[in-house]
Amino acid sequence: MTKTAEIVVIGGGVSGLSCAYNLAKRGVNDIVVLEKGYIGMGATGRCGAGVRQQWGMEENIILARESVKIFERLSGELGFNTFFRQGGYLLLVFDEREFELVSKTVPIQNRLGVPTRLLDTKEVADLVPGINTDGVLAAAYCPTDGFCYPYAVLWGYAEAARRLGVQIRVCTEVTSVSPVGSGRYEVVTPRDTYHTPIVLNVAGARTKDIAAMLGIEIPTEPFRHEIAVTEPLKPFLDPMVISLKKGFYFLQSVRGEVVGGIGDENEPSSFNTKSSPDFLFRYAAALREIFPALGKARIIRQWAGLYDVSPDARPILGTVDGHPGYYHACGFSGHGFMLSPIVARLLSELITAGSTSIPIGGLELSRFSEGSITKDPYVVG
Amino acid sequence: MTKTVLCHCEDVEIDELYSAVKQGYGDIETLKRYTGIGTGKCQGKCCLVQTLRILASLDTPAERKTAGGDASELMGDPRKIRLPTIRPPLLPMRIDDILEENGERR
Ligand SMILES: Cc1cc2nc3c(=O)[nH]c(=O)nc-3n(C[C@H](O)[C@H](O)[C@H](O)COP(=O)(O)OP(=O)(O)OC[C@H]3O[C@@H](n4cnc5c(N)ncnc54)[C@H](O)[C@@H]3O)c2cc1C
Repeated sequence: MTKTAEIVVIGGGVSGLSCAYNLAKRGVNDIVVLEKGYIGMGATGRCGAGVRQQWGMEENIILARESVKIFERLSGELGFNTFFRQGGYLLLVFDEREFELVSKTVPIQNRLGVPTRLLDTKEVADLVPGINTDGVLAAAYCPTDGFCYPYAVLWGYAEAARRLGVQIRVCTEVTSVSPVGSGRYEVVTPRDTYHTPIVLNVAGARTKDIAAMLGIEIPTEPFRHEIAVTEPLKPFLDPMVISLKKGFYFLQSVRGEVVGGIGDENEPSSFNTKSSPDFLFRYAAALREIFPALGKARIIRQWAGLYDVSPDARPILGTVDGHPGYYHACGFSGHGFMLSPIVARLLSELITAGSTSIPIGGLELSRFSEGSITKDPYVVG
Repeated sequence: MTKTVLCHCEDVEIDELYSAVKQGYGDIETLKRYTGIGTGKCQGKCCLVQTLRILASLDTPAERKTAGGDASELMGDPRKIRLPTIRPPLLPMRIDDILEENGERR
């Protein structure tokens, strides 16, 4: 059946649901979210859901800071417990180069209102009992960073969006998007076909495939990232512990499980989301090195998801010249969860008012054809 | 009032399963993450088959909704009811043992 909608959102991840909610809140009626599987089946449901403001570039620090402000009130706003827990992020420094980087960056974060401070190894050991500080020179610690339970955020947005009239269709894969004249797009699924003036393409690592249906080329690449969880342990770890150099992150969930991952420089680009024994070994070694007592803990589950990686590891947001009514958000490069609250606010402003309260010019797709791009040195994994 | 525990590891009662389904979290992948069924130490050994049996016995349309929409393709047709994705390792493995297996002794 052919239906109409004011906005069709493609993808039921955190980007799609947070945007749908924000658009509905800004008064848009008749929003349809199309998700090919179940809510959270993409990267969002597989992610660590870490939220940090410790970034290197001012633009990234500001976006993350604004996201944290929203996360702090999100459970109340959505009427759904997101389990946002601000235990901080502890970024371990392993060499002089990293020490120089954080020494230079922490003052910038502070100037922008992010309360990061440098800790010496003794302070690290006091903050995280049982941590092995061999080889650790220092650490950067921001107490207002934290993490959520990603599904709770998804469900909270979904329920709040539904209350505002948003339709969310699961098991509904978009198979074609094309312009049909008079400023409208036709979005085809095996169930229904939608005619809409506005398409919001937020299909995670598949965003580029949807864009390609309209002749839009997005330079992102999918990369598998694996993650594992231990059996629940007594609470011992408040902050998320990460290393830029070694590419790992560890957190203890509110259920007590230690959840974490470690990047692999040799991982080729692909849509593979299988778990590997190689990861299990590398992860177990990294975890036991930092927390020797966890040698006795058992790993109960591992899985994998995709990072949608852009050339500068920054998201690609906004509009595309020559395609009025088309919007997208992708290329989150492993940090789309933490940015989702602010990205949703800015995109919903852009779609309903034509401008954004924080400039996003530097994040448009066009930056890649306009010459130089800068990569943030604070990318993990 | 009697309580029937469905999942011992995560302490989930049968009533919680019914209530999750009613609230729209009834397909097996979502149910697992909403209630914790199958994600504890036993990894579903004790509860998953029971859960599927109960899901298969639900058949009113209202019970077929999942978070945000009609998910009959995920859960409505009993013949389509299946196990959630099974994740390795098959048995919980101690980190020391994993590393020993990989030839890395302490
Ligand atoms: C292991 C791992 C750990 C991570 N840790 C963190 C972290 O700690 N902090 C952080 O901020 N970020 C983290 N990330 C990154 C984060 O998960 C993503 O950036 C974010 O979830 C992206 O959300 P999204 O909604 O844009 O995409 P997705 O969550 O991938 O959602 C896209 C949705 O679109 C659907 N879809 C695809 N094609 C179609 C189609 N044709 N029709 C309909 N639907 C379609 C998919 O099924 C999917 O549900 C991590 C990622 C991974 C894999």
